[in-house]
Amino acid sequence: MVQIHNASFRYSGGEGLELVNFNVDPGEFIFLTGDSGAGKSTILKLIYMDIFPQTGHVIVNNYNSLNIKKREIPFLRRKLGIVFQDFKLLHDRDVFANVAFALEVTGTRKRDIKRKVLRVLAEVGLNHKRNKMPRQLSGGEQQRVVIARALVNEPFILLADEPTGNLDPTATAEVMGLLERINVRGTAVLMATHNIQLIQSQNRRIVTIEKGIVK
Amino acid sequence: MFYSIREGFAGLIRAKVASTITITVISLSLVLVGFFLIFIFNATRLVDTIQNRIELEVFIDNSFTPEQTEVLRNSINYMAGVLQVTYVSKEQAMEIYKKFFNEDDFEILDENPLPASFQIKLIKEYRNSKMANQIIQQIAQLDGVDDIEFRNDILVTIEKYMDYLMIGILTAGNLLLIGAVALVSNTIKLVILSRIRIIETMRLVGATKGFIRRPFIFEGIFQGVFGAILSILFFYITVKIIDVEIPGIIVVNSYIYLMLFGLGLFLGAIGSILAMQRFLKF
Repeated sequence: MVQIHNASFRYSGGEGLELVNFNVDPGEFIFLTGDSGAGKSTILKLIYMDIFPQTGHVIVNNYNSLNIKKREIPFLRRKLGIVFQDFKLLHDRDVFANVAFALEVTGTRKRDIKRKVLRVLAEVGLNHKRNKMPRQLSGGEQQRVVIARALVNEPFILLADEPTGNLDPTATAEVMGLLERINVRGTAVLMATHNIQLIQSQNRRIVTIEKGIVK
Repeated sequence: MFYSIREGFAGLIRAKVASTITITVISLSLVLVGFFLIFIFNATRLVDTIQNRIELEVFIDNSFTPEQTEVLRNSINYMAGVLQVTYVSKEQAMEIYKKFFNEDDFEILDENPLPASFQIKLIKEYRNSKMANQIIQQIAQLDGVDDIEFRNDILVTIEKYMDYLMIGILTAGNLLLIGAVALVSNTIKLVILSRIRIIETMRLVGATKGFIRRPFIFEGIFQGVFGAILSILFFYITVKIIDVEIPGIIVVNSYIYLMLFGLGLFLGAIGSILAMQRFLKF
């Protein structure tokens, strides 16, 4: 489903990844861990093809980083759910519109948008707050909106970059519970985090990166 | 498409100040361009009218018989560039003279001293000093041609100044349009920069390049079209209500409205496309 073969990527500052190899199988839940700057986000960027490896290659579904065309990248991303630490919500629209946005950009019909958004908001437990603006929500709620937006296109994998980084322990537990439920239903989860306690509390596969090298 | 139009319009509202300034400047530029267009249209019409009146007058040798005159007429008639040859007899020349000067100076003479002539009209392409002079040289070589009258100096002056004027107006017009495009481009740039976050989110959730770009193109087009509508309103009010149109002398062709609308649309679209090429690279 996701295969990274001998992928290296160096930023102009010298940091990056060195000959990374690992796979994500369907329905897996993987923690990607390492210190800040170790290369966790770089691996996620390689998967959603925001950057391309300078050596080796990345295969995501049927797309290969070696021969994917620029115009195919949006269609790859529609199959991925992406969640960030800083939420990246649109503050000029309410919760419903933020989630609907992910469907609007893919040209989904209005009638289907309503149905799908309400269903996914129910899934993350935020249906009652669908008319609230993001700033009226707590951090945990905002992250659940982001997860709803990532899920609304029914991705096969959820890429989460420090999704609990800005959250208190209660909100962190809520978000983790949600990610587990999503995973149980068959969606793979690749979660980058440097929260050791959180990783230890879960019995999941762990991929550790140190200075750009997978240990 | 509906999404792009709606977002384009929303973007216009969001960047109120920049949009208002851009629309105002586009409309002012188009008003000036409109004045240039009206000037060019009327100046060309005036020059055409003057050129239409330009004729050659070929005076025929007094000793020529009617048969020889007819041969001469045919020779001129078949020359390239000649539209019409009208024979003016000695008697007709006298009538014209009397009518023009309202007196009869030649009563004391035994015979009519005025020569017969041909008035020659040229086809449009030959109604300029260069081509007319070519024909004059050809006619001058024919037997029986005494003299040729052609008011060359007026034509040369008109041509010379019209050329300068047209170059000046076209240069100023183009500079104005380039300025307007730069302004639209700058406004769209500000809008793009203020919407980096939404653009980034769009890319992450799988929006195509076209989907992200279309609203900005529509926004630029809206700015151009609103600017054009304002300039059209200005001319409409000026021409129809204040009635500056002087029949027959200054004519405001209704095609000008269409041209201003097209120009506005074009300026807006080009301005936003340029901004995207510079600030929306992915």
